[in-house]
Amino acid sequence: MFHWKKGFTLLSAALLSVSLLTGCGNGTNASGASTSPASDPSASTQASSAADGQSAEFQFYFTGSQNVKDLWDTLIPMFEKEHPTIKVKPVYIPSGTGAQPTYDRILAAKQAGKGSGDIDLYEDGITYVTAGGKDDVWEKLSPDSIPNLANISAATMNDVQSLAIPYRSSAVVLAYNSERVSNPPGTLDDLFNWIRANPGRFAYNDPATGGSGSSFVTTVLYKDLPADAIHNSDPAIMSKWDSGFKILKDLGPSVYGKGIYPKKNQGTLDLLANGEVDIIPAWSDMVLQQLSQNLLPSSTKLKQITPGFNGGPTYLMVNKQSEKKEAIYEFLNFVLSPAAQEVIVNKMNGFPGIELSHMPQEVQSKFAGVSEGFRTFNIGDLGKEINKRWQSDVAAQ
Amino acid sequence: MNKEHKQAVLGLTLVIPSFLLLLVVVVVPIIQSFLESLQSEAGGYDLSRYAYLFTDKGMRANIRFTLEITVISCVLVLLVSYSLAIYMRFSSGRLVDWIRKTYLIPLFIPGVIATYGLMNLFGNHGWLSRWLALAGWEMPWVIFAAKGIVLANLWFNIPFATMLLSSALAGIPSSVLESAKDVGAGKLMIFARILFPLSYKTFLVALTFVFMGVIGSFTAPFLVGPNSPQMLGVAMEQVFGVFREQEQAAAIAVFTFLLCSALGVFYIRSMAKEEAERR
Repeated sequence: MFHWKKGFTLLSAALLSVSLLTGCGNGTNASGASTSPASDPSASTQASSAADGQSAEFQFYFTGSQNVKDLWDTLIPMFEKEHPTIKVKPVYIPSGTGAQPTYDRILAAKQAGKGSGDIDLYEDGITYVTAGGKDDVWEKLSPDSIPNLANISAATMNDVQSLAIPYRSSAVVLAYNSERVSNPPGTLDDLFNWIRANPGRFAYNDPATGGSGSSFVTTVLYKDLPADAIHNSDPAIMSKWDSGFKILKDLGPSVYGKGIYPKKNQGTLDLLANGEVDIIPAWSDMVLQQLSQNLLPSSTKLKQITPGFNGGPTYLMVNKQSEKKEAIYEFLNFVLSPAAQEVIVNKMNGFPGIELSHMPQEVQSKFAGVSEGFRTFNIGDLGKEINKRWQSDVAAQ
Repeated sequence: MNKEHKQAVLGLTLVIPSFLLLLVVVVVPIIQSFLESLQSEAGGYDLSRYAYLFTDKGMRANIRFTLEITVISCVLVLLVSYSLAIYMRFSSGRLVDWIRKTYLIPLFIPGVIATYGLMNLFGNHGWLSRWLALAGWEMPWVIFAAKGIVLANLWFNIPFATMLLSSALAGIPSSVLESAKDVGAGKLMIFARILFPLSYKTFLVALTFVFMGVIGSFTAPFLVGPNSPQMLGVAMEQVFGVFREQEQAAAIAVFTFLLCSALGVFYIRSMAKEEAERR
């Protein structure tokens, strides 16, 4: 005997399992479809026609917080208006969700002989510049094809073997409450003395969770090392960190909460905002933006110490396998133009990637006292080792 | 096909969807991470990643800290939830009405937001410390310490545990309790001899949920916990995302899974025992 009820249950169970299976199937199909245009013949014809002044389109993957997306949402329409034949297709990967897979896709496409993998231009930090240098996936860039590249200091380009363009950056500076601190420290040693003289009034964040704390820690570690050590990613240098870690450990009882290191860049900014501490290392762009939104008290001021904390540039990298390089160079040339750089300054409060002397006077004065003397650290994978040792030597003291 | 065969086919068909789902999202990842955790730094297969968990000073402290927080949280949550549930079961009045209407609200507040709320309330310069300062008292440090994590766990887990327990208590007939009272049983006796045994099963369910939730928690320990020792969830994220040691992170994950499955075994066994008794 056949029960209706039982029959329905059976049917729905069968449907459910079928839909589950097809669901998985569809997923793989869809991702297959999205990567296949790389090998699509029409893509290459499109690229070759770019040279004839016809329209070209390239894919631009970038990652970061919302402010980065806002920036490109402004810059790309500006560019397309000037260059109607070139279309930029932005793909935004929110930070922390997919930078590694994006890079893996580029590398996988190269190894499989599938060209660019449909990722022509990529934006990320120094980690992927270095990784791509090792795997030979980034195109070497020169001012011959991108005239505005000459606006960037040659030393900065040498740091990355011209494989990437540091098109904007932000530096870590001391942010302090000027009502309580009238004479902020100007050097690292002054800062140490100030911290010891004012216990509990200084905080830096857990270096593994944000760049400002990481910058403070790195700067302390490299305090007494030769000046060129900050461009050295040789693990042999790790043995010279001992004195720096000892200083950090000794500072522990004098920092906020006798050794509390808040999480994330915002963690210390919150402490500064509600008056729990008076001096913190912080990203200049975050401070300037939060000052303009009244999230920080107006008494907050910035100061760079000498030698400076590190600045963190963000890089644009061109996929060596891309077939649309001319269009990309046109775009990069635009990004490095003073007009585009001004948008970076006004919208993100970031430092321009090009040298300040190429910028209007008002921009130069905005960054007076902040942009001077920041240093670019390029120590590769050593940052990871610093975090590891900090966790065991300083946090777990 | 006879009836028994039909029954068997029907049973299998009904089980297949959930089995497939479990296989893809639970079983395969567990096996994968287990295999990954066996890879040593040199490239071979051994137990060095697990040895590290128990030989590294920081890691040992993390494990002890996680277990401490979990046990303390479980005890406190269940104490508070039981008292609340019993209070709501046997009292009436406006206050109880209000508690009934509002105690589930924390369930609907996202974790990150609740955690920031706690930080604002209990922080060094938070609201509570400002009010206490008016009275001349100094607020002890709660945020960035173990106390903060326990507080957050109370907030996250009490509503659900209370909901489970009060539905169990509502199922206990009043006549049983009244007859116990008639023969002279005290309040403690009623709880120990009637209420607790009759809601024991739900108590186990609640304990399992709280334990699993606390031991694997991330948001609250990350934001309000100390820098060291860390809870295993935070340590796992750090090892995976910051130190980029996937294999070590996998070992921590498998270890956490083992801790949870210890409770799972205990739970399933006592459930099975009860089933067997019923037959």
